[in-house]
Amino acid sequence: MSNFLKAEESPFDYIKIKPDDESHIDIKNRKTCLKACENKPCTYYCPTRVFAWDEESNQIKVSYTRCIECLACPYGCPHNNIEWHFPKGGYGVNYSDQEDLS
Amino acid sequence: MGNDRYNVVIVGAGPAGSTAALLLAQNNLSVALIERGKKPGSKNMFGGSIYRKPTAKIIPGFWKEAPLERTIITDELWLMDRTSAVKAGFTGLKFNEEPYNKFSAIRSKFDPWFANQAVKAGAKLMTETLAVDLVYEKIGLLKKKVDGVKLDNGEVIYADVVLLAEGASANLTQKAGLRGSIEASSLTLYVKEELALPAKKIESRFNLEPGEGSNIGMIGYPTASVVGKGGLWTNQDSISIIVGGYLNQINSKGVSPYQLLTRFKEHPLIKRLISDAKPIAYKSHIIPKGGYESIPTLYDDGILVAGDAAMMVSGRRGTDIAMLSGLYAAETIAQARAAQDYTAKVLKGYKKRIMDSFFMKSIKKSKNSKQYYKEHPDADFLLTKAANDAAYRFFTVGIEASETKMKKIKDEIFGMQPTKKTLTDLYYGIQDWGIF
Repeated sequence: MSNFLKAEESPFDYIKIKPDDESHIDIKNRKTCLKACENKPCTYYCPTRVFAWDEESNQIKVSYTRCIECLACPYGCPHNNIEWHFPKGGYGVNYSDQEDLS
Repeated sequence: MGNDRYNVVIVGAGPAGSTAALLLAQNNLSVALIERGKKPGSKNMFGGSIYRKPTAKIIPGFWKEAPLERTIITDELWLMDRTSAVKAGFTGLKFNEEPYNKFSAIRSKFDPWFANQAVKAGAKLMTETLAVDLVYEKIGLLKKKVDGVKLDNGEVIYADVVLLAEGASANLTQKAGLRGSIEASSLTLYVKEELALPAKKIESRFNLEPGEGSNIGMIGYPTASVVGKGGLWTNQDSISIIVGGYLNQINSKGVSPYQLLTRFKEHPLIKRLISDAKPIAYKSHIIPKGGYESIPTLYDDGILVAGDAAMMVSGRRGTDIAMLSGLYAAETIAQARAAQDYTAKVLKGYKKRIMDSFFMKSIKKSKNSKQYYKEHPDADFLLTKAANDAAYRFFTVGIEASETKMKKIKDEIFGMQPTKKTLTDLYYGIQDWGIF
């Protein structure tokens, strides 16, 4: 299966995001991911792979600047361990003005 | 101090919010319409169809001005296997004449136009503005009434009544204590791509005249083992392709939505429809599919909930139901204003309107099929497989008597699982697949 991080074509070529300075996504308790969560489903159900397991630090790495606000993560986490709130007004993904991208 | 006061504050300039804003502004109420995106629609992944009849209830003749893509004349349902598809469909050329049936649309283009109708009627649109909390006033010893919203910049906007049309997150709805937590089994997650292709190519591939559109819903192969749907439809200069299913199943089956979409696009029957088309957008969102049990409390003192936030989704219908819920909310708020009473006593009329609506009957009814899919998540897959195997046999030219051939097909279908199960699968399938 293709990992779109490595694939030549990435959907990020045609997603427009205005990231806020601070993250709108947080892991509530990092120990829960390490000790209680076997499959770490956030690393695959997130459509833009915001979450990745970092082997070195043994914790979930959150790349909030990739978030397209699908809202799946807080509900999909089996341990209710993801704190997600809306980016500030005007920030985050912008599906309008697609033409500005080309 | 210095904070504004309106008759109504509406959170979210989607179809529910803009409908209510338009109708209330037409009724001479002062309306603030709050949108967190750069423009209305900036955050919206929906594509799909805008239905003419319900939308025209709000803006008669909207198709003459609204940014729409194509007039849908062809609807198909494909039961897809790996190298085949059993297709059911209908093409009606009358659907390309006024007053039409439905249109393909891209909501990030449609929503700004729609919200602008409310602005032209006098509503105040505030974009790039996020409402983070509700503010209350005391109305008696123990009771309090919603009195406005607090913005992320700390400002407060006061209102006689707040309409939450905030979308699937239903964040403020939860803060207001109107709903409990949402389960992953009540949510579907969809991913979509828009692929640019010249109009002429689209028309020749889908057998369309200029302006005509086609819409295909797909069951089976696209979602791998997840209960869900795939779909493909034509915009003016692009094709939209979508796939997804229940979030809890995506999780338990270890499915990545992006990979699901990539795999779907590589299906030989899809590949030829989208070849040379260049991806121009990738979007994703959850869709509330909790059905009747998940509907929040729809009103309280000084507050109403509409659209996705109120779980107003039935099958593929969401945008038009959102508009209708916005319409009912506006009617109720107008009554409350006439009575000068914005407490639950008057606002409960909204719930009655919703409960009496045609779509609530469908939402109630879908309860059974949702339960069935919970118990038999393989139903669509088994049906699709059986249908395709049977069709391969049926259409294969052989050297046997037709009676023998038919008997073999029958044995195969009924040998797969008990006949009764196949029939129940089909019964619930037809209910769930719905109109595309």
